[in-house]
Amino acid sequence: MISRLLVANRGEIAVRIVRACREIGIESVAVYSDADSRSPHVAAADRAVAIGPAPAADSYLSIPRLIDAARRSGADAVHPGYGFLAENTAFAAACAGAGLTFVGPPAAVIARMGSKIDARRLASGAGVPVVPGETPEDQSDDGLRTAVHRVGLPALVKASAGGGGKGMRRVRDAGELDESIQAARREAVAAFGDGTLYVERLVEEPRHVEVQVFADDHGGIVHLFERDCSVQRRHQKVIEESPSPALTSRLRARITEAAVTVTRAAQYRNAGTIEFLLDLNRESGTARTAWAGHRVPDAADEAPFYFLEMNTRLQVEHPVTEQVTGVDMVRAQLLVAAGERLPWTQADVSQRGHAIEARIYAEDPAHGFLPQAGRLLLYREPRLPGVRVDSGVTEGGEVSIYYDPMIAKVIATAETRDLALARLTAALRAFPVLGLRTNIPFLLRVLEHPRFRKGAVDTGFLDREGAALAEATAREIPDFVRAAALAHDQPESQSAIRNPQSAMASWDPWQP
Amino acid sequence: MAAVTRIGDGAYRVEVDGRGEIVFVAGPPRDRWVFWHGQVFRGDFLTAAPRNGPPGSGPRAYPVHALAAPMPATVIRVAVKPGDAVKKGDIVLVLEAMKMELPIRAAGDGVVAMVRCREGELVQADATLVEFT
Repeated sequence: MISRLLVANRGEIAVRIVRACREIGIESVAVYSDADSRSPHVAAADRAVAIGPAPAADSYLSIPRLIDAARRSGADAVHPGYGFLAENTAFAAACAGAGLTFVGPPAAVIARMGSKIDARRLASGAGVPVVPGETPEDQSDDGLRTAVHRVGLPALVKASAGGGGKGMRRVRDAGELDESIQAARREAVAAFGDGTLYVERLVEEPRHVEVQVFADDHGGIVHLFERDCSVQRRHQKVIEESPSPALTSRLRARITEAAVTVTRAAQYRNAGTIEFLLDLNRESGTARTAWAGHRVPDAADEAPFYFLEMNTRLQVEHPVTEQVTGVDMVRAQLLVAAGERLPWTQADVSQRGHAIEARIYAEDPAHGFLPQAGRLLLYREPRLPGVRVDSGVTEGGEVSIYYDPMIAKVIATAETRDLALARLTAALRAFPVLGLRTNIPFLLRVLEHPRFRKGAVDTGFLDREGAALAEATAREIPDFVRAAALAHDQPESQSAIRNPQSAMASWDPWQP
Repeated sequence: MAAVTRIGDGAYRVEVDGRGEIVFVAGPPRDRWVFWHGQVFRGDFLTAAPRNGPPGSGPRAYPVHALAAPMPATVIRVAVKPGDAVKKGDIVLVLEAMKMELPIRAAGDGVVAMVRCREGELVQADATLVEFT
């Protein structure tokens, strides 16, 4: 069993992991950079170790510093959270080498599933449909051109080592093919140091549906159903929910079974997520045009979903799964890492109700979603029934330029999707964040969009409609808002302040 | 008409036609932030002309003859030198903040008079980066 856990992360996920430790009696050790010495994750943990200067490369991404912190603090295990080193093979191996339990899969499994080509091959070999495509042996322009011919247009040319949309090009007509191949290769080399490209068929207007899986050392594999993460902006998820409004129970049974199959084939351990593209257009029989007379073979005529990739870590959006299944995923991760059996069987878990998560980013939607840094002059999380807030900041704290601008996640749970949506909307309307811009007003407009309300968005939705939603319509400041803003200037001793127009004294039961 | 009651630190209840609205306020008088019902207003509420347009259209309006840093950031590339002519929309420099590259573009046509930052330099919000003639 783990007795002292080093949390190799910061922000909300570090706080989340520390809380799980406290519940089950594991001592927690936070690490922090110079920019984070007063951060909530440091205050929350039992111990804290400084690991270096603010830039992540010298602190949260430094394997030697983290291993050293674990040694110095006497930790026997390391939880990597998400981002930073969570899917870094060298880090998992370094932990194992230092005799530390890594809360995640073994390094070899991270390596296997981290390569998109290998992961694809593994899924396909296990009989799980993948988007038709190939990695040509011949990586010359000619070889790639031929591969695009075989796959058909529209196609995607992607970096094998890629992620986050870098080194990825859409090709819609043959005229732009050469340019796209060269641009993708340049970006792939620049971003990942590896110019290997693969070509796959472009799935138009797909939905992003992922399945949460867990596996232990004793052959136990359990899935915790799906999450729908189709609301994305430039491949960054913004709103996630479970269950997916796009799945029928029959489709759910098949996609979760496919996920378990991949998990088994990968000899996976601990928590992981299998991402799928759901192609509902194809299910409704939309014909695809072959290019240059090639008949495009359909490897997966019977299934409207394709394996996309596997994430070998805890996901940002794990709370929606926790809310509908009622399990503590971080606790399960710690148990499995310590060699114990999964705390539940497949028959034990079910989806109940509906949960929706909105990610709160310090960014300015009206100015190209520019990340914002600065002091949180006022920050009050909503406290409402059925609303969970996972956050890593507090009022008066600094949001620095050094790290990801996500400051909190608001998760609303209710009996139905409509009620969860109403609850999330109410929660965001009661979540004042002042001192820097956030995406809260933008999120509210997305939640109120008719397509989202219907549960009918695809992954391109925000990129198509986001610009309109990002621009707030200019509106007059309501008089009562102005009255409150002016009242703020009065000395605090006059705690009941009236507008000059008002002669009536007001009495308020909430007043201290 | 509006009765304002302070109900907490920076929190006010304003009565409008018998109905209570909760409004949160923070920041100095000349750069005040206000939150109401999921909307954020920012500006100088004391002067006659409040800056209440769309979010962000408030206090930060830069003259066309200079480019300023929109936020604290690291300068990763300077694409111009004094004497260069730039057209509206040209990338003048690239900043990096929060793992994102932010190309800073010229707001109008002009000629670079002075570059006031270096590659690798950490600049503060509102710092003038490039001046134009």
